[in-house]
Amino acid sequence: MKQTRKMILIANFLAIAIVLNLIESALALSPVPGAKLGFANVITLIILYIYSFKDSSALTLLRVILVGILSGRLLGPTFYMSLSGAAFSLIAMGILKKTNFFGILGVSVIGSIFHVFGQIGAGIFVIGSTAILYWMPLMLLLSIPAGIITGLVAKRFISVWDTWHNKIE
Amino acid sequence: MEKKRNQTNKRDILLITILLLIVGGLFLYIQVFQQTDEANYAHVYYGSSDQPLVTIDFQKSKVIRHEEQVVPNDYSGNYPLIDESSRTITLLGDYEVSGIRQIVVIQYDFGFKTVQIIEEQSPNNICSREGVSYGKPLICLPNRVRVEFETNDDSDFTI
Repeated sequence: MKQTRKMILIANFLAIAIVLNLIESALALSPVPGAKLGFANVITLIILYIYSFKDSSALTLLRVILVGILSGRLLGPTFYMSLSGAAFSLIAMGILKKTNFFGILGVSVIGSIFHVFGQIGAGIFVIGSTAILYWMPLMLLLSIPAGIITGLVAKRFISVWDTWHNKIE
Repeated sequence: MEKKRNQTNKRDILLITILLLIVGGLFLYIQVFQQTDEANYAHVYYGSSDQPLVTIDFQKSKVIRHEEQVVPNDYSGNYPLIDESSRTITLLGDYEVSGIRQIVVIQYDFGFKTVQIIEEQSPNNICSREGVSYGKPLICLPNRVRVEFETNDDSDFTI
């Protein structure tokens, strides 16, 4: 019963993450070719806190692949940038969460910054030139407020979740 | 518990402040000390190659075509196409609309030493919305076409 509930909830979270990711691609908020601010990271962060690093990795990987299929950019240049950004940010957040030194907000901001490093790093390979580094300072500057927003949303969500989840358990 | 939460909250705020200072400082530093020299050359690249297909020489007001763009047989045309009268360079991009690869049109100006992407198909049109560039690299990622500037003979344009 518990396992079924968890599976269904993760499937729902995955759907939300995909929609967030698609909306962000359509809005084109980022001034940098192929790069995103990573608002879909909010789901990665929430799962990391309410379940585990393993569940969060599975969800994030599925999200990147499914968004690639849905937007028709699977294995295209922007796909590798998304994948690398998501992986960098997830690993950074996973490690930082383990230390328990920072709260959700701090973990989220670090995740957001590593999301930029991952995307730009992959961008250098995909583009075959370091020209994309030109946008790195701007991306980093934008990623901090993005990380704060993501962190605040996740924080609020987790506090509501805790009350709700304890009630049904 | 409450005390510990306050402590992590304080650490979070401290972390964010420090990061903002570092990144903000870096950003301002680059804005202020950015290379403002006029570019001498602009190189047009396709794919992840580091060999330019075309070089625009602003000093000699010349466009040099280094090599042909490798395109599949189903596409006619001898890319890159250079049109001296309208001052444009046309490449075949990677972005496909109903299975057909689309062109990328680059316009240059010897007088102002600028380059602009005037026509290109992609989901967000980031590179054509970038407008006229005096030295900022232009990257059309879905099309895998890029323009980079060079100020000296040896060094590439870097931040």
